[in-house]
Amino acid sequence: MASQAAEQFSEVDKLRVQLLNNVEDMTDCQPDDEPVSSREILIRIENIILGIVTSVSKGEAPVLALPNRSSWANVSFDSAIGLQMSSGPSVSIIRSDCPSSVTKFAQILKILSVIYRLVQRNSYATKRDIYYNNTQLFGSQTAVDSIVDDISCMLKVPRRSLHVLATSKGLIAGDLRYMEEDGTRIDCHSSSAAVAVSSNIAGIRNIVSSAKFVMIVEKDATFQRLLDDDFCTKLCPCIIITGKGVPDVNSRLMVRKLWDTLHIPIFALVDADPHGIEIMCIYKYGSVAMSFEAHSLTVPSVMWLGLLPSDLQRLWVPEDALIPLTKRDESKLSSLLKRPYLSSQPDWQKEMELMQQTRVKAEIQSLAAIAPDFLTSIYLPNKLRYGGWV
Amino acid sequence: MLREIRQVLRLVLLLGKQRQRRCERAGGLLVLLWTEARASGQSLNCTVAAAGPWCTGIKMKALQPDLKENMFPCTWPCPEPDPEELCAFTDLYGSLRLLLSFQMKDAQLFNPEWTDHMESFLHTFSLANAGIKIHLKFIFNQKTLQQEFRVKIKSKVAQAGDPSLSLDVTCNTQPPECVKKGCWCQGGHPVPGGRLPLSIPPQAMDQGLYGELSVQPVTLLRPCVLQYPNLATQLTHIQVLVYSPSNVPVTGPSAFLQNLPAQLGCPELSQRGLHCSSFKDLVLSGGTVYKVEQEMLEEESSPSTIQQSLLLFLFLQHSDPFTSHISDVMATEALIEQHLEDILSNNRQAVTTALQTELKNTLKAQNRRKKDQEKLRSAVDVILSSSISIVSCSSNMDFRQACLNSMKVHDTHELSASLCESLRRVTSWKFTPRGRCYSAQMEEHPESDEPTRTEI
Repeated sequence: MASQAAEQFSEVDKLRVQLLNNVEDMTDCQPDDEPVSSREILIRIENIILGIVTSVSKGEAPVLALPNRSSWANVSFDSAIGLQMSSGPSVSIIRSDCPSSVTKFAQILKILSVIYRLVQRNSYATKRDIYYNNTQLFGSQTAVDSIVDDISCMLKVPRRSLHVLATSKGLIAGDLRYMEEDGTRIDCHSSSAAVAVSSNIAGIRNIVSSAKFVMIVEKDATFQRLLDDDFCTKLCPCIIITGKGVPDVNSRLMVRKLWDTLHIPIFALVDADPHGIEIMCIYKYGSVAMSFEAHSLTVPSVMWLGLLPSDLQRLWVPEDALIPLTKRDESKLSSLLKRPYLSSQPDWQKEMELMQQTRVKAEIQSLAAIAPDFLTSIYLPNKLRYGGWV
Repeated sequence: MLREIRQVLRLVLLLGKQRQRRCERAGGLLVLLWTEARASGQSLNCTVAAAGPWCTGIKMKALQPDLKENMFPCTWPCPEPDPEELCAFTDLYGSLRLLLSFQMKDAQLFNPEWTDHMESFLHTFSLANAGIKIHLKFIFNQKTLQQEFRVKIKSKVAQAGDPSLSLDVTCNTQPPECVKKGCWCQGGHPVPGGRLPLSIPPQAMDQGLYGELSVQPVTLLRPCVLQYPNLATQLTHIQVLVYSPSNVPVTGPSAFLQNLPAQLGCPELSQRGLHCSSFKDLVLSGGTVYKVEQEMLEEESSPSTIQQSLLLFLFLQHSDPFTSHISDVMATEALIEQHLEDILSNNRQAVTTALQTELKNTLKAQNRRKKDQEKLRSAVDVILSSSISIVSCSSNMDFRQACLNSMKVHDTHELSASLCESLRRVTSWKFTPRGRCYSAQMEEHPESDEPTRTEI
């Protein structure tokens, strides 16, 4: 049994050794990520207010300069970090004397004043709290979410340091125990139910795990299927985590924290479609919108375990389980192939080019067409045993 | 007398239109009126002289028979004016192209009210013939009253098939004190509307009016605040001026136009209504004037609300290939003016719709400004409260003091008031210069636009 377990994870262990060697090489290159003090955060906010008052005293309409978080021109790629915001990014000017932008100006000031008080009092609020504080001003939760990230980028401070929490949507299960900041003990071992990803990742301590690997699962449906099939017991010890689609910041922070603490291989299990590949890239390389926090959010060592486009042919997945690519899929696939990080991933490129050629995609659920428990009984165990990742 | 002067102007303008389609309507016009004692009483003499490009090519001798018999049947020959009076005029505009003198036997018509009518008429004429400088001189009982109608800012409006209009777009509204020098548009920007064909009513046709008749509306909103996009505006008056095809103002009250407010039913006016001004005001101001009622809330408008008035020109246009002789053309114009009420009534729906469209466009811009103002106001409240909140709860003395010093106040209470007033002013009075506006260049030539009036 022990030898079977050893064989099961021999490739995974080799990968781990390789990754550890890379981590040692990179340690000297990592920037110091010292947290910004509360005092400094307050000073940065005060500087913004002083700038506004000074402008008004000169008879000028105050403006705010927000780094542009949606432009590819503002990001550069570093293989050790992922997509990060360039120094001196282009900015969007938000004017207080223009009807089309004054509301956003007011929203930013309002949230700044909320953050100021939270940091000053060392209390916390969620983004939802902020929205419900003044729904008429903000209009939607999305507006609040976006502005909080804009402020985080403008002040060059992680959102969690602004004392604004986000309700996590991710789930985690497997060989993992830790303690929350408030002392709550979390045990993710339960076989049937997952644990919600914490809202305060920075506060997590005393992480205990003997997991051989972490598997990021794109969809909640697949994650639940793994739980139902008792995957964490079958492939014990391991950790599985899902962000339920495009991951929120907390889910990404959690994956990063697991990497930083455990230094074990991180695999991604996503659908064989452009959307799934893009989600995997977000975990691995980050996103343009959050590039200013790349250092704490990306895990460049993520490996693509499945579902690979080459798996579809190799496993003879029935044709009726395959879906033709839409025009939107093709456009996204072309866009992904042009991303700066793909050049350092020739195997990923090959898989994506294969998808372009075959013009089909498939969900992980398509493996059920081969056999109902194919995913957890055959596919994943074999992938892990024989190093079927790219 | 006014009728005669109108006929002279009509003649000169029509001759110009006939000779050159693109003749420049620029030059000088002198209207000299003086009384003369006679055995039977006082007579009123009038000399009309014209010089400049607008009357180039006029041959007086060829006109004489038409003028005397067809245009001035009730006038008598009068003594020539003092040559010195004409010298000053020719010095300015060159040799005379037209010189007509005629006499009204009964000078009792010459009273202060009549002179006001004359001035009003010439002013209205000047609005749509801005290239012509008008000199009006009354010599009455050894008193001389002079006026010059000189246009400070002109604007050309193209007309399909007709020479361009030269409109007086000068605005006399003084800018508020907070406006910097060179940052206030001293003119307006005429907006031509769609040309509206008019059907000729049967009774006018019976009288001999044929051909194609249409009306070209042109709106002029003043003062111009295009350079201040965040200012709220309030339309207070609408003045409608009608011009004949020769560009001579059509005088006299119009029942159709007076009753127009009841027909307009413009949704953009919502609670507001239009009142037609009194008859007396009509005559003196020229045209038909409507006062725009304001909504209750608007009566308490903020100090930064600019009151505007709309000038609506209605230029009648006529063409008839079978009418070419000048006297026939003038007779046709007379018919148009005579039957104007019938023409407007005959085209009631179309005319009302056209005027509604012009009004809607003006009010649309006003409503958009109002919405923008409200947006700015509510956002400024939030900006202010958020900023003051941070200053108030800060324990950073350097920061607090820097804010107070910046606004030159002593405490956060004063800071709040000062910041509020300054922020509202800075956002409301946002200035975006426009090349089209008449701002900086006018500062260098501060001529008064008011008709120069002197009494000797």
